Amino acid sequence: MPVHESEAIILQSYALGEGDRLVSFLSRTMGRMRGVAAGARKPKSRFGSTLERLSHVRIWYFERETRELVRINQCEMIESFLSAFSDYASSIALALFSEITGAVLPEKEASDANFRLLLLATQTVKRTGKCELPLAYFALWTVKLGGWLPSLDRCGQCGQALAANDPACFSPSAAALACGKCRRPGMRLVSPPALSLARKMVAERLDRLQDGVAADAAGARAAREVTEMMLDIIEHQIDRKLVSRELLESPA
Amino acid sequence: MPDFAPSVSRLIDELKRLPGIGQKTAQRLAFYLLRVDREQALALSDAIRDAKDKIRHCSVCNNLTDADPCLFCTNSTRNRSMICVVEEATNIQAVEKTRQFNGLYHVLGGSLSPLQGIGPDKLNIKNLIERLKGGTVEEIIVATSPTAEGEATAVYLSKLIKPLGVRVSRIAMGIPVGSDLEYADEVTMLKAMEGRRDL
Ligand SMILES: [Zn+2]
Ligand SMILES: [Zn+2]
Repeated sequence: MPVHESEAIILQSYALGEGDRLVSFLSRTMGRMRGVAAGARKPKSRFGSTLERLSHVRIWYFERETRELVRINQCEMIESFLSAFSDYASSIALALFSEITGAVLPEKEASDANFRLLLLATQTVKRTGKCELPLAYFALWTVKLGGWLPSLDRCGQCGQALAANDPACFSPSAAALACGKCRRPGMRLVSPPALSLARKMVAERLDRLQDGVAADAAGARAAREVTEMMLDIIEHQIDRKLVSRELLESPA
Repeated sequence: MPDFAPSVSRLIDELKRLPGIGQKTAQRLAFYLLRVDREQALALSDAIRDAKDKIRHCSVCNNLTDADPCLFCTNSTRNRSMICVVEEATNIQAVEKTRQFNGLYHVLGGSLSPLQGIGPDKLNIKNLIERLKGGTVEEIIVATSPTAEGEATAVYLSKLIKPLGVRVSRIAMGIPVGSDLEYADEVTMLKAMEGRRDL
């Protein structure tokens, strides 16, 4: 039984049996995996706080041929995000990060881009204490990396360029934006500020965006609109509702 | 999966609903119950029925109890100025074992957990706030788990309760007694430093 070593982010952990934890984690080189950490819920466990959600860790595990669960042997902290959970709004954004990553990535398929996105978004929430922009950025890039992002510049129906000041329309099933003329019943409006923010997000890194986007209520509203649109697309793709989305409150 | 008689399958299915019980364990338990004599097996179902019929939630603190209000809430020797807030009724036993706490309890019924769809509305927070309105309570000790969810819950409660003029404290987190500092990770060590006290 060879031991594997990998950089990883903890996605979720559940209580299992007497004092164990079932841990879902994203390995940078091996993709999403699930394993058992024996004794991890006991006070003197050698895992300490390393298996808390979104911990950036170095993990050692054994693969067992006959089982789908690996056995987690050791875990060392690279960066902890426990402090970011103290803010309720942030804790919901962080829950969405792990729930979405777990839902869109297949098991055992490495995706370095998704790994870096998850780490960047989580670090930004911890550093800034704000979650609207990182959440929108994370959702948009998850959609883009999944290959589900519609063109943000042209109407998917008639091919017309979408004007900067006109609202566009959107439905998650159509997988495209539509201009005012091609709008169909049931489509939702996307406001010009939200559309322009989404375009910026495709082109800019999150840390550079942070300075360029208004940190006021309007900025937060545009970010939330992008988030809602992207979460609609994600839910359409995974064919189920995201549990933590229910608790997302409107930005203050 | 092998085919069992319908009544055996049903027993296995019911056992599988219990937390931490998978197919194999459920089968082992089911066959154990079928092997022992009738009286012994039925004693289990009797105990379940009896507990389910008699036990309810205390209307004051949400503890599991056969008398409402529960023994803690009605005990006149307990200190009514302090309430220890825990996630589950089973956590009360852990605090009681210390014999150091003589106040009252409040059971939240879980912790804030967006991934399970548990927001503030699903926890017993409203009736905790109600209990503070009488003015008798001076301190709330938040004894939620030292996990991401437990932390989020503790901070959420403190933001809600502090404006009411009630002191809010959090149980210390840090190095477990009897362990070696060498093996403590930095978060545990940091929490231990934050929770230090004068000697
Ligand atoms: Zn059009
Ligand atoms: Zn009670």
